[in-house]
Amino acid sequence: MVGIETNVMVGAHKNQAHEGLVRRRPDLLISQGAGLKRRLAALAGETFLFCVTACGALAVLFIFYFVLKDAIPFFQSRGFAEFLTSTKWFPSREPAEFGALAIFFGSAQVTLGAIVFAVPLGIAAAVCLSDVLPFAYRQAVKPVIEILAAIPSVAYGFFALVVLAPLLQNQGGRLLVAAAWAIGGPLVLLAAVVVGDLAGQRASEARRKTVQTAATIAPLILFLLGLAVLARYLGGLKIESGTNALNVSLILGVMALPTVVSVSEDALQSVGRELRDAGYALGATRAETILRVIIPAAGSGILAAVILGVMRAVGETMVVWMASGNTAQIPEPWFNFLEPIRTLTATIAGDMGEADHVTGSARYHVLFALAAGLLSISFACNMVSEWVMRRQRKTLAGG
Amino acid sequence: MRLATRKLLDRSFSGLGIFSILLMAASLVVILAPIFIRGSQAFVFRATIEHRRIVLDLFGRGDRSAIDAEWNQALDARRPVWAMLEAFRKELEEKPLAERRNFEEPFKSLEILIAEYLGPAPGQPRPPLIRMEYGPARWEQAEQKKREILFTEAFDYSDPTKMGVKVLAPRVNDFKGASLEPLFPYIEAHAEAMLRPRLTFYWGFLTDESHDAHFFGGIWPEMLGTLYLAIGAILFAVPLGVIAAIYLTEYARQNWLTGVLRTFISTLAGVPSIVFGLFGLAFFINTLHVSSSKSVLAGSLTLAVLILPTVIRASEEAILAVPHTYKEAALSLGAGKWYTIMTVILPAALPGILTGIVISVGRAAGETAPIIFTAAVSVGAPLALAETLSKPTPALSWNVYNLATEHQKVDQLRHVQFGMVLTLVLVVLLLNLGAIIIRARVSKKLKG
Repeated sequence: MVGIETNVMVGAHKNQAHEGLVRRRPDLLISQGAGLKRRLAALAGETFLFCVTACGALAVLFIFYFVLKDAIPFFQSRGFAEFLTSTKWFPSREPAEFGALAIFFGSAQVTLGAIVFAVPLGIAAAVCLSDVLPFAYRQAVKPVIEILAAIPSVAYGFFALVVLAPLLQNQGGRLLVAAAWAIGGPLVLLAAVVVGDLAGQRASEARRKTVQTAATIAPLILFLLGLAVLARYLGGLKIESGTNALNVSLILGVMALPTVVSVSEDALQSVGRELRDAGYALGATRAETILRVIIPAAGSGILAAVILGVMRAVGETMVVWMASGNTAQIPEPWFNFLEPIRTLTATIAGDMGEADHVTGSARYHVLFALAAGLLSISFACNMVSEWVMRRQRKTLAGG
Repeated sequence: MRLATRKLLDRSFSGLGIFSILLMAASLVVILAPIFIRGSQAFVFRATIEHRRIVLDLFGRGDRSAIDAEWNQALDARRPVWAMLEAFRKELEEKPLAERRNFEEPFKSLEILIAEYLGPAPGQPRPPLIRMEYGPARWEQAEQKKREILFTEAFDYSDPTKMGVKVLAPRVNDFKGASLEPLFPYIEAHAEAMLRPRLTFYWGFLTDESHDAHFFGGIWPEMLGTLYLAIGAILFAVPLGVIAAIYLTEYARQNWLTGVLRTFISTLAGVPSIVFGLFGLAFFINTLHVSSSKSVLAGSLTLAVLILPTVIRASEEAILAVPHTYKEAALSLGAGKWYTIMTVILPAALPGILTGIVISVGRAAGETAPIIFTAAVSVGAPLALAETLSKPTPALSWNVYNLATEHQKVDQLRHVQFGMVLTLVLVVLLLNLGAIIIRARVSKKLKG
């Protein structure tokens, strides 16, 4: 580390003692002759740099301060109970009701949907990028991820509203059925093969073949029947409106994918070559090595990727505002994704237009209360992901 | 498990990975394709004579004599329609009351439709809105209107178990036996002669002002607003961000204070964009009073805080990527620390910093939530540079939202919405492409 001694700005040098002995360019002398003035100048420079940096960093404190400052009056006048437990959100009615539970639920629901969609796909893609694809293909995939990450959220929202919503409304049942077969079909086939294999191994040598065939075909028929029932159920579902939680979850999932993929790929790559080689040397296949060795070793990095994906989904405004239907309700049953919902971000964006000329009213402050909720969620996520990342770095460095 | 099964599972595992990558690429195509295809229709479309008149009247572009000649031909084709309407109006007045009642309602709606299809008849008073002064400027809009004229829509509720089924009935049935009957075949046969569609490349979409809330003209105010906001954000964020990056990489010691600073910056990166909007409103406008209400300045400041972490991180990475030998060489030559940073490290890191800046510009241009409360309005004239200190502006990102959800004629303006989304996406993608190119050149240079 270079100390303060060398922090001297180069300039004319005035130390006379050296002048006679060696003829060298004065500005090559670094620190011996640095006078107090020079040191002070360096110190002042560094302090200035520090102040500017601190100024940028303190912005986050300002954000917390200003959001909380306007949120506290709401809690002072109305308390926490109604805000956190009631689902009745009627800020403009007389008397107004500010039950935000359904709104928190809406945010949680679309985030859950996005994560269910983005995490398995994202991790699979990351594994594929770090371990399966050759280098050249990997370079070709990178721009796809970058473009997905760069598309403005309002463009995603526009797509969700103008293209996806009518599609879901008109063809929703068929799309769900197609998705069920496309995802379920291969899964069912694999499951049947595995069941057959496991059953075959328990059977005696002579009957192994027959048992195996039977144990493959019987579950296959069973699973296919189950899948057909599921598809029938999905096909019969009525989608009242294309702007619903499913639509938003899909789009948020696509938006979270780039984050999940690139962060978990970094995590996977930071696990060294040795672990992989050890796995292969023990006779494990690539899938077994990755699932049992590499992913557990990179676990905290992948967890951080998931958390960052969650943050992206929770904090997204435009997509949910445009395509979620903006109805403050908890759907029946709660895992029903075909109902319109309302999220924290969309409520802030949508209600501020009506509330900002009544600055100081509960209607105005409740939006800051929602923002405080949002801020604490993302702050908590951020802290956890930082902690997880640090632990990961420590384990990888310390062994 | 048998080896074959294990191999199968291994294969399907790789297959899952490849499937998800393909799915990612497919979703990119699925999202971008409609935006590109329908967005390009804002620029290239079959324009009617009305479009050429609008461009001439509102923006003064075009060959006046040629357009006038064409307009006269179109008028000649339209006159029989107006004549028939006029004749029927007279006829109606002379009819007995009972019969007149029968025709009055359908005739009134027909007159409105025809006025929307062909514009006001010559000699009629000038309508209050520009959108009523001209007929449809785009051929597909004209065709849509023609269908509305030729057919009436009704809903069939005869089957009570189902929702109403849309049924089209020829409108000519409403005028059975009246002298107006030949009007409908005439319109059907002479649509092209009356509107004279021609394939047009309308580059003015980017540079024309909008008239009558985007019914006519282009998106210049939005383009300019986005440009101001993005540049403003960069002006504030880059000096701050680069200085912070220099401090963090070159000066900061490994102590708790630096740790706290870094935590703050990463927390800032995680704050949801809508909260930045609230913060901008509460801090820049209501507390600092940088402007009396929304303004480009307040919006730029808000966006600057938003992109600050990106700028800092990109600059830090660029500075750290400069080979250590550069710095050592400079220091061994006797250069001081600050001198080394300014003359050796920053120039070497510049392309990397630039990459970060270019990506941040794209981010600032595309963000909507932070400018809702701080800078954006739905309708506005393009601003002069000095006005940015005090006035709000339309911006591409905000107006995409606004036109797609809040405009009174959402369905008629799909081409403008798609054109605007396409422009925004193109701007952001081009900026990212620029960043990729810069980065490729840098990595080539660093390799030697």
